[in-house]
Amino acid sequence: MKVYTCCGHETVVKRIYCPSCGTSDIQEQEISDHGTIYSFTKIHVPPVEFAEIAPYNVVLVQLMNTTAKVTGRLMGDVSIGDTVELDRVENGAYLYKKV
Amino acid sequence: MTKTYIHGVGMTKFGNHSDRTLKSLLLDASRQALEAAGRPKIDAVFVGNFLAGSMSNQEILGAIVANDLGLGYIPTAKVEGACASGGIALRQGILGVMSGEYDTVLVAGVEKMKHANTPDVTQAINAAMDTDSNEKHAGLTFPGFFGVLAHRYFHETGATKEHLAMVALKNRENALNNPLAQFQKATSIEEIMNARLITEPLGLFDCSPMTDGAAAIVISRKPSSIHVRASALVSGPTQMQDAAELLSIPAIGESGRRAYEKAGLGPEDIDVIEIHDCFSMTEIIAIEELGFFKRLEGWKAVETGHTKPGGKKPVNTSGGLLSRGHPIGATGLSQIYHLVHQLNGTAPNQVEGARIALAQNLGGTGSYSAVHILERL
Ligand SMILES: [Zn+2]
Repeated sequence: MKVYTCCGHETVVKRIYCPSCGTSDIQEQEISDHGTIYSFTKIHVPPVEFAEIAPYNVVLVQLMNTTAKVTGRLMGDVSIGDTVELDRVENGAYLYKKV
Repeated sequence: MTKTYIHGVGMTKFGNHSDRTLKSLLLDASRQALEAAGRPKIDAVFVGNFLAGSMSNQEILGAIVANDLGLGYIPTAKVEGACASGGIALRQGILGVMSGEYDTVLVAGVEKMKHANTPDVTQAINAAMDTDSNEKHAGLTFPGFFGVLAHRYFHETGATKEHLAMVALKNRENALNNPLAQFQKATSIEEIMNARLITEPLGLFDCSPMTDGAAAIVISRKPSSIHVRASALVSGPTQMQDAAELLSIPAIGESGRRAYEKAGLGPEDIDVIEIHDCFSMTEIIAIEELGFFKRLEGWKAVETGHTKPGGKKPVNTSGGLLSRGHPIGATGLSQIYHLVHQLNGTAPNQVEGARIALAQNLGGTGSYSAVHILERL
């Protein structure tokens, strides 16, 4: 997984211009697939396209060695602070598993 | 100071209008506002709406209002900003008056949602997220965002699900006195706490409902007893993972700061408040962001009763989105409708002697926030 950094902003979303200095020369950095659960929700009422897998957790993962966080999905039970690892990327979603 | 004044307000009952069309709701509220204002000549119309295209296959709302009310060949437009559509439409009207282009403007908001099933509405409302993102593909929903926020808020403060329930109960108790509110059945902390889960920890009563309804306002450069002292609007982060601080919704804070600065007032000057409680959690964050209570301490104010009608900062005396109802495009204008009644001394849950009122209208998960400050002259 990559994070994009400039002027102290570290994000998984790549911006066209840095919101602080305006440059388009934003640096990329490869980071670990590990992180911890910053917060989560278990979704019981999903949009139509996710009806078959509900309930599922949407997790906000604090990535390691960066201030960046990423939103992903994790099945089963989960708590804030749990250590997780990126399992795979599927249909544009980051799917995490507990370590 | 906008030097723009409110001359009339109108609002349909909020709830289930299965026997009425989107157009009839929109025209009903608009007609009420025009008659309350004494049928002035209208120079422009702005309509706040989010879902008419996707759920009622109906656009051209501005032209429909002008045509069906016989307002003539005047400029009109629909304004979209998700759940802030109404507040943004009002601001567009105010800017039109401030620019000198228009003397008098009709601003209306409408939504019709009850005819569709929950999965379809959930899907349509997800248009208020960045759908070209890994968050959307992960299955995040609108209530899901506030569920994630609530879990972290609990983790960092002493708040629990019971504090969310207190917000929902307060707003329900307020709605019991508001004949235009959607929900008029009493409830209890136990019923709220035990309701079925939507996006943990949020249950059914923590989430604003699907609602049909409309509201409208006539504004003008000609003086009246209600002055729009400030109008502010800002955009904020469109993705949860992009927020610098999850427990802050910067659009709310920044729109509040701009409004206070324009008005030359601070949070201590506000007598009565309508806040965008799309979820019980959102009300707690918003009362912190707007400076009424300290950061991460809004839950304590709720527990103490400071936000109840007799408290030091009465919030959502109309019942809020949670119990007045949330017809998306109409919500921001229904806040103004209720606050005008508060300032005139004719509101349900009347705050004694209210002179300065603040409305905050949120769009998306913090993508937009509009704040208006009204004063009785
Ligand atoms: Zn930079």
